[in-house]
Amino acid sequence: MITNLVNILMGGVFHAAILFLVAAGLQVVFGVQKIFNLACGSFYALGAYTGVSAVGYFTGHGGPPALFIVPLALGGLAVGLIGVVVERGLLRFVYDRDETFQLLLTFALVLMLEDLIRMTWGTAPVSTGGLYLNYGQARILGATVPVYNLIVIAASLAIALGIGWLLSRTVFGRIIRASADNREMAEALGVDMRWVYVRVFTLGTMLGTLGGALVIPATAAMSEMGIELIVEAFAVVVIGGLGSMRGAFVGALVVGILRSVAISVYPELEMLLIYLIVIAVLLWRPRGLFGAAAA
Amino acid sequence: MATTRREFLKVAGGAAAATAAGFPAVARAQAKPGVPSDPVKIGILAIRAGIAAPVGTAGLRGTEWWAERVNKSGGILGRQVQLIVEEESNPKDTVERYRKLILQDKVEVVIGGISTGVTLALGAVAEEMETPWLSWDGTTQKGVEETMPNPKWAFKSVDNEVEAIVAGQLTRKYFKGVQTIAGINNDYSYGHDCWETYQAVLKKLGMNVKPVLELFPKLGVTDFTSHIAAIQQAKPDLLMSSFWSGDATIILKQAAAVGLFKNMKGVFTTAGGVHDSLKKEFTPEGLLLGYNTMYFDDPKGSPLLKQFVREYKAKYNEYPAYESDHAYFNIESYKVAVEKAYAQTKQWPTKAQVVKALEGIEAQSLSGTRSWRTDHIQMCSFYQGLTTHKNNYDFVTINPIEVVSTKTAMKPAGSKLLDWINGWKI
Amino acid sequence: MLLPVAAPTYYVTLMLPFMAYGVVLFGLNLLFGYTGLVSFGHALFIGIGAYTGAVLTTHLGVRHMELILPAAALAAAVVAAPVGALCVRYVKIYFGMLTLAFGMVFYTFLLKFYKLTGGDEGMRMLRPYLLGSEWTGFSKTAYLVGPYYYFSLAVLVLATLLMWRIVRSPFGLCLKTIRDNPLKAESLGVSVPRYRWYAFMISAIYAAVGGALLATPTGNVDPTLVYWTHSGNIVFMVLLGGFSSFFGPLLGAFVFIFLQDTVMSVFPYWRLIFGAVLAFIVIFAPGGLLGLFGRRRPVEVSRA
Repeated sequence: MITNLVNILMGGVFHAAILFLVAAGLQVVFGVQKIFNLACGSFYALGAYTGVSAVGYFTGHGGPPALFIVPLALGGLAVGLIGVVVERGLLRFVYDRDETFQLLLTFALVLMLEDLIRMTWGTAPVSTGGLYLNYGQARILGATVPVYNLIVIAASLAIALGIGWLLSRTVFGRIIRASADNREMAEALGVDMRWVYVRVFTLGTMLGTLGGALVIPATAAMSEMGIELIVEAFAVVVIGGLGSMRGAFVGALVVGILRSVAISVYPELEMLLIYLIVIAVLLWRPRGLFGAAAA
Repeated sequence: MATTRREFLKVAGGAAAATAAGFPAVARAQAKPGVPSDPVKIGILAIRAGIAAPVGTAGLRGTEWWAERVNKSGGILGRQVQLIVEEESNPKDTVERYRKLILQDKVEVVIGGISTGVTLALGAVAEEMETPWLSWDGTTQKGVEETMPNPKWAFKSVDNEVEAIVAGQLTRKYFKGVQTIAGINNDYSYGHDCWETYQAVLKKLGMNVKPVLELFPKLGVTDFTSHIAAIQQAKPDLLMSSFWSGDATIILKQAAAVGLFKNMKGVFTTAGGVHDSLKKEFTPEGLLLGYNTMYFDDPKGSPLLKQFVREYKAKYNEYPAYESDHAYFNIESYKVAVEKAYAQTKQWPTKAQVVKALEGIEAQSLSGTRSWRTDHIQMCSFYQGLTTHKNNYDFVTINPIEVVSTKTAMKPAGSKLLDWINGWKI
Repeated sequence: MLLPVAAPTYYVTLMLPFMAYGVVLFGLNLLFGYTGLVSFGHALFIGIGAYTGAVLTTHLGVRHMELILPAAALAAAVVAAPVGALCVRYVKIYFGMLTLAFGMVFYTFLLKFYKLTGGDEGMRMLRPYLLGSEWTGFSKTAYLVGPYYYFSLAVLVLATLLMWRIVRSPFGLCLKTIRDNPLKAESLGVSVPRYRWYAFMISAIYAAVGGALLATPTGNVDPTLVYWTHSGNIVFMVLLGGFSSFFGPLLGAFVFIFLQDTVMSVFPYWRLIFGAVLAFIVIFAPGGLLGLFGRRRPVEVSRA
C-alpha cells in the first residue's frame, strides 16, 4: 500500500520535474517580456536531440559511460545559446507590437524548429540507449526508483532554487524583477532593456534546452514532441500563474501528481482532467495561484 | 536519397545517363510494342512528420530502393519508373494530395497510406477517383466493413489486428500459466482494437485470464513512469502492448529501470517497428516481440532480404522495419500486375485492367511471397518470437522465430472479426 | 465564375477549401480585426460544423445541404453561447489561452469518446444533396467541380454580403470602438462584454458553416480538424491577407492554400518555409499582403 503510494508519488514528481523544466523557460520570458513563447516545447525538443548527439559523440570517442551526464548537460546548455540568435534576429522586432503578433512569431518558430530538427536528426526516435540505467536503482519504502529519476528531480529542484536565488539575490535578478513589474520605470532608472531582454530570453531558452537534455536519457526524442509538450506546459503555467516561477513549480507538481493519481485510479480521465482544471482556473482565478492580476 | 519528385528526376536522369553511357544495350529500356516510351508515373503518399514519421520513412526508403533497382534493369516493360511523392498528414490534406496526384500529376496508381484516419478517408476517395490505390498500412475493421465492403479500386493492407491475433495464439503457446493480464495501448482505434482482439483470442483459446488494468495513453506520450506505477500496483502476470513507435522504447527503458519484467511476462505485438532501438541493456530476454510482416534477421531470409538489409544499414545506419516491406510488395505487385495484364493484351494496361490483374496475384516481397486476395486484402506472413540477447547487435532479436501466415491469422473474406474468432475450431 | 470550365480540374477542387476557409475567416476576422480578440481555438467551431455535417448525413439520414448548413450554424451557436460568454470576460492573452483550452478539450473529447464520434478514424460525411438533387449522374469529382463548386460560391457570396452589412452597421462600428478604446465604448453606454459575445457567436457560426463546406470534399471528418495548430493556421491566414481590411482574410486564405499546395509538392520541409513566411509577415508586414499594397490605413499593432 505504502509502496503503491510512493510509486504514484514518485511518478508524479518525476513528471512534474519534466514539466517544470519546460515551463520554467516559459515563465522567465513571460515574466519580463510578456511574451508567451509557444516554442518553449520546441527548445525542449532541441535540447533533447542535442543531448543525445552530445552523449553519442562522447561515448563514441571513448568517454566513460558513467560520466555521460556531463556532455549531456553541457550539450543542453550550449544549444540554448540559440536563444541569442532568436532574440536578436527575430523577437526584438516585435517588442512594441500587440501580444498577438508576438505569439504568432513564436508559432512561426515552432514550425521552423520542427523542420530544422527533422532536417538534422531525421524522423526515427533517438535516445541514449541504456545509459539511463547506469546509475542503478534506489529503494524507497519498498518502491524501486531509478536513481536517474532522482537526479532529474534533484536537478529540477536545484534549477528552481537557482532561479529563485538569481531573482532575489543577484543584481541581474533584481533587474529582471523590476523590469517585469514596471518596464518604463526600470528604463527610467537606467536599465538597458535590450541588454536585459536578450539575457532573459536566452536564459529561458537554456532552461528549456537543458531540461530536454536532462530528461532524454529516461525517454526518447520523437518527431513533433515539442508540439505535444506545449499543451501540458500551458496547463502548468495557467494553474501556477503566468510569469511566476513559484507558479511553475507548484503548477508542475499539481499537474504531475494529479495526472499520476488519475492514471492509477481513473485512467480514462488523464488529460481531460487537466484541461478541465485549466478551464476552471481560467474562469475563477485567471491569474492562477501565483500570477499577477489578469489584464 | 530522393524524397521529392524533383530530386528523383535528377537521380533517375543520372541513372539513365549512366546506363546509356556505360551499360550494354540489354540493360537499356527496350521499347516494347504497345508500351509508351515516357516514364510511368507512380504516386507515393508518405508520412513525413509526427509520431508515425519513422514508419513513413521506412516505407519510402523501401519504395525508392525498389525503384532504383527496377529502373537500372530497364523499368516496367521498358518504361522507367517515376515516383511522385506527396506527404501524408491529416485526412483532409492527404485527400487533397491524393486528388492532385491523380488529377494533376496523372499518376497511374497511388501507393501509400499508413494512419487509420487517413486510410479510412482515402478508401472512399479511391473508389471515386477510379484509380488503383494500394495502401501500406492502417486497415481497421471499420475501414473494411463499414465503408468499403466491396472495393473496386482500393487494395488494403493486412488487417490491423492480425498481430494481436498472432500474439494471442503465441501467448497460449509460450505463456500458458498466465492468469491476470494488463494492457497498455495507444488511445486510438489501433490500440483499442488490438487489446480487444488479444483478449478475445485468449478467451477463445481457453485461457481464462482476468484483465486487471487497461491503460490507453495517447500517442506521443514520452513519460510512462506513472503508468508503470499503476501496472506495478495491479500486479498482472503479463503486460500486453501494441506500441509501435518511440513509446515502445521508452516504456521498456522505464520498465527496466524498476525491474518491471522481473516477474512479469511481456507481449509487445508491434514493437518490432523500432526494433533497433530496443537495446539489450533495457530489453529483457523472453518477451514476446512482434515484427509485423518483415524480420530483418531471418536466418531463412532470401538473398533479396539480406541485400536490402545490408544496403539499408550502409546508407542510413539503421536496420529496416516492416513498413519497408509493405511498400516493396505493393509497388512490386503493381509491376507484376502490369506485366501480367500486358502478356494478355500486348498493350500497356488500363487502370481497370491493372486492378483485375492484381486480384489474386502473387509477388515477391523482401520476406517471401505475398499476394492480394480477390477481396483486395493483402496476404503475407507475420514474424513474432521471444527476445534474445544472443546476437552480434546491441539490441535484441528473436529466437525462436514463429512465422504465422494470414491464412490462419486473418479473417477470411466476407467475415466479421469477432464472429470468426468465436467460430474457431479448437 | 468560369473557373470550372477554364482551369485544370485539380486546381478547381483546390478552390473548394479556399471558399470554405473564406467563410471561416470572415467570421474569424470579425473577432480579430474588428473586435480585437484573437482566438486560438476557433478550429473548434470548424469541427462542430464538420461533425454536424457528418452526423446528419451518416446517422440521421439528412442529406440536404440546405438543412445541414443551418444545422451547423445552430450547433455552433449553442456551443458558442456559453463558451463565448465565459471567454469574452477576458482579453488578449487570457482570451487566447481560454479559447485554446476549449479547443483542446473538444479535441480530446472527439478522440476519447470514439464510440460516439469515431475517435481517430472520425466519421464519414456523405455527399450532400444540393438544391434537392442527388446529382447521381455525376462522379464525385464532377460533382465537386460542378454543382458543389457553384453552391459553395453562392454560400461564400452570401456570407460576404452578410458580413459586409454587419461590419458597416452600427453594430460593426461599436465593435471597432470596443477594439480601439473599450473604456470609451463603455462610457458611451455600450456593453463591452455583450457586444464581444455577439461577435464571438457570429464568428463561431461562420466557422461552422465553413467547416461543413470544408468537410464535403474530404468525405470524412476527424479530430485533427480541431487540433490547436489548425487554429494557429487560420489565424496565420488572416494575418497573411491583412486583418485590417475587409477582403484581407479572403486573400489570405487564397494565398495560403495555393502556396501550401505548391510548396508541399516540391519541398519536404515546407513547414520551415511557412514558418519563415509567417515570421516575415509578423515582423515586416503586419498588415498582411493588403497592408503592403492597399490603403495606408494605420494598423493598430502597438501594445495598449
